[in-house]
Amino acid sequence: MVSKTEETQLNRLENQVDNGGGGAWEYLCLARKLKVRRPEKVLKYGLSILNDSKKRSALGPEEWTLYEQVAIAAMDCQCLDVAKDCIKVLRKKFPESKRVGRLEGMLLEAKGLWGEAEKAYSSLSEDNPLDQVIHKRRVAMAKAQGNISAAIEWLNKYLEIFMADHDAWRELAEIYVSLQMYKQAAFCYEELILSQPTVPLYHLAYADVLYTLGGLENLQTAKKYYASTIDLTGGKNTRALLGICLCTSAIGQVQKAGTKKTRRVQSCSLWQQKPWRKITKRELMINMACLLVF
Amino acid sequence: MVAELKHEISQTAYIKLVLHALKHKTTAVNGVLLGRVNPQNDTVVEITDSVPLFHSNLALLPPLEIALIMIEEHYGSKGLGIVGYFHANERFDDAELGIVAKNIGDHICRYFPQAAVFLLDNKKLEALPNGKDQSPVMQLYIRDASKNWKLAGPDGGNRLVIKEPAANVVLSDYISSEKWQDVVDFDDHLDDIKMDWLNPELFK
Repeated sequence: MVSKTEETQLNRLENQVDNGGGGAWEYLCLARKLKVRRPEKVLKYGLSILNDSKKRSALGPEEWTLYEQVAIAAMDCQCLDVAKDCIKVLRKKFPESKRVGRLEGMLLEAKGLWGEAEKAYSSLSEDNPLDQVIHKRRVAMAKAQGNISAAIEWLNKYLEIFMADHDAWRELAEIYVSLQMYKQAAFCYEELILSQPTVPLYHLAYADVLYTLGGLENLQTAKKYYASTIDLTGGKNTRALLGICLCTSAIGQVQKAGTKKTRRVQSCSLWQQKPWRKITKRELMINMACLLVF
Repeated sequence: MVAELKHEISQTAYIKLVLHALKHKTTAVNGVLLGRVNPQNDTVVEITDSVPLFHSNLALLPPLEIALIMIEEHYGSKGLGIVGYFHANERFDDAELGIVAKNIGDHICRYFPQAAVFLLDNKKLEALPNGKDQSPVMQLYIRDASKNWKLAGPDGGNRLVIKEPAANVVLSDYISSEKWQDVVDFDDHLDDIKMDWLNPELFK
């Protein structure tokens, strides 16, 4: 998760390097720190440094980190020869390294050799069962093969051991959302909010999921979480502002629909309901005006 | 629905959606298609424009509702409505129409019964720079009488056509010049309202 300022800084560096203004190494360090996925740029800039022996030796021991970063970027861009070369260099320098072993596993994954990659990871994890990266690679492999239920299983097993890994909880939530398993996604976001209550994006995501689940109670809770997002972001988050408008309208519609309907009907997914179409521009404006007042 | 219903997609609408999919290669993306039934020939649905929607969390309702409201508001005044839905799967080898795409397709069908769903054909997209294929890199899905989404078969080759025959050539050019970087979708707009989801400057 990257903030706007960090993203702007990264983009600025990218433009600078693209226009010949230097700063490739700063860009690569920032990309590594923020864990963003920009393989084409990383590959291009990384290779420009690695292929120049003067620049390479100026890096000192960081050279090996760069080889690793470029290898991963190359795999992402399907430039498997480049990746293979980088890994070979690393293997020569660190013959017994598990970290290089992981990269070799990833190369097998990139080639689509799932069985062999799984074997490689199993043997690595025998020596080190608490290696987080290997657990995550297993999830990634399951996802890449389209076996989403296996991915969910592996990810749940991972979270039983490493329950403080916020990125993993978010990944699990997103997988659940893509399968329309909103209740389970809500649970994940609840865990995230409990452990990091001041991160507004979790409140926002939770509110979105609750709204999607539908039903009067969920809508009212969603409204509260949109409000807390607005609170935490100083009113600058458009999604939360619009979310409150949607919630207000939806709650109004559900209440107007009458209390005679059973609870089950009320919590029927909003996919089935027409209300969104009836929200006119005027109503939206009125809601926004109320919002600015409170 | 009527067996011989034809969908004619304009170059702008077509290229915008494919470029959007290329911008976000690692996630699923979706978009809506705007147009109307041809007033002279009601077996033809003209798709004149498209709006790329999201590249993350496609199955969440609030952003989708906001997008649909704003799109209908804008295009309604021009006499156009939402006539289709575009979806590109996350994985290259996934050629199935997922449940989210079907649900959104059903939703759109409620207001425009002849609506179709278009799924990006990754293999065709990959082969694009090589071939002289003029057919769109999308698969057409239509709802049958039992409300299930069915792929329009090989004989459905003329059911989905691009209005301008050289569209794939233009698309290949844009791909090599990395034009996809300029595409703005609804997600981008919600993150920064200054970004315009109408993409008015994209093809200028």
